[in-house]
Amino acid sequence: MRPDDSHEVSQLNELKIDVSALCVGAHYALAGVNVMVEQMPIYGGYAGGLEETTIVDVATTLNSFVMMQGTWHLDGPVHVRWGITTSREVLAVAAHACRAIEEHTHLMLGNQYYTLAGPCTVMCLLETAAQAITDTCSGREILSGVASCKGVTTDLFTAMEARMMGEAAHAVAGMDTHEVNLLLDKLIGLYEKDYKTAPTGKKFQECYDVKTLTPSDEYVKVYDEAVKVLTDLGLTYWDK
Amino acid sequence: MNAVARNLTVYDVYDRAKNGPKMDEKKWDYEVVPQTAKALKKKYNIKMDKKTIIPEDKELIDGLFNAGLDMLVECGVYCIDTGRVIKYTRDEVLHAIEAAPDHFTFGNGAEAHHITPRAYNSKKAPIIQGGPTGSPCSEEMFLPIHQAYAQEPIVDTIVDGVLQTVCGHDPQPGTPWELMAVRSEALQVREAMMRAGRTGMGL
Repeated sequence: MRPDDSHEVSQLNELKIDVSALCVGAHYALAGVNVMVEQMPIYGGYAGGLEETTIVDVATTLNSFVMMQGTWHLDGPVHVRWGITTSREVLAVAAHACRAIEEHTHLMLGNQYYTLAGPCTVMCLLETAAQAITDTCSGREILSGVASCKGVTTDLFTAMEARMMGEAAHAVAGMDTHEVNLLLDKLIGLYEKDYKTAPTGKKFQECYDVKTLTPSDEYVKVYDEAVKVLTDLGLTYWDK
Repeated sequence: MNAVARNLTVYDVYDRAKNGPKMDEKKWDYEVVPQTAKALKKKYNIKMDKKTIIPEDKELIDGLFNAGLDMLVECGVYCIDTGRVIKYTRDEVLHAIEAAPDHFTFGNGAEAHHITPRAYNSKKAPIIQGGPTGSPCSEEMFLPIHQAYAQEPIVDTIVDGVLQTVCGHDPQPGTPWELMAVRSEALQVREAMMRAGRTGMGL
């Protein structure tokens, strides 16, 4: 690792730490490197509901800069039932916490992506887009992902999800907040009804030619389908 | 905010983890955190609406910041190894926020990105950090997976996955194989960047 990379150290849920993390923090401080402090508050966990989890998220984020002298904080409010960062509730937690901090400080914040559906599915791409739109329009500096299908299965993720994360972010930067909220309400409504039947999708080696590293025709079609949904919702980024 | 002699360091924090007030972990998890959050929600009259993902109400935004700040000062942070609470003063927290970096460089050379704070309504897009975000990768696919991210033009930096095995061995934490896996991950991500023609990308 080089000093200009991001060096990670994690807090524990909720508002907890262990001594080994402090030792990691001490090492980074001595090395003088970029420090990224990570923590994913749990909606429905120790803190409780929507407002309580958001309050804990703000406190946790501030702690990254007090305890570890972090360069930036990597958030990731996660739903206790679904284990994802793309549900309506955790998107609201992330956006409210970010706006609260962005309004009152200059702190630099990121968010990480865990979808329920897997690669090569429209649902996965729409979940990703919803979070990218939320993060961009609440003032985050860095979007980090995507750990598709909750990031627990070997090779079950691809760069196409990162492409969507990036394109959706670029599509909405500077957009009016009220318009974004109307769009998000519709967009989340398109996938939140399918949680119990979310498709697992396909592994990297099934989605890409692993020698030329080009995405399959099938995935390109799925991507275009997701883009059509976003375009129909009013985004013009892909019209260019 | 009053003047403080100097900003807190991780060393001060460790000393407080050794000497702070003792507490049972279950009391922290099931009483201190939920009860304080609930009380602050009431104090600042915070009410969120799930249909409004991004807040539009300035009073709500301010209330959430003040509640979060109060939460950190009133509770502190619990150290699970020492069973003690690390406490901060309000001034220490405010000074740490003020002293935090307002820019940094991520990556180097042609791939360097200068990160600065961006507002919620900024027309500047955020930095796109592409990668599996700690998800498990097979040894066979680790390099091509990361090269696929590095060759996406919209991706600015890489967040890597983890090797599920290294030389066929389980890189269990606290073992020599863990060190081998971590080193191998970093080298392969650099190789992936180089193959994509993007040497210098931040990791």
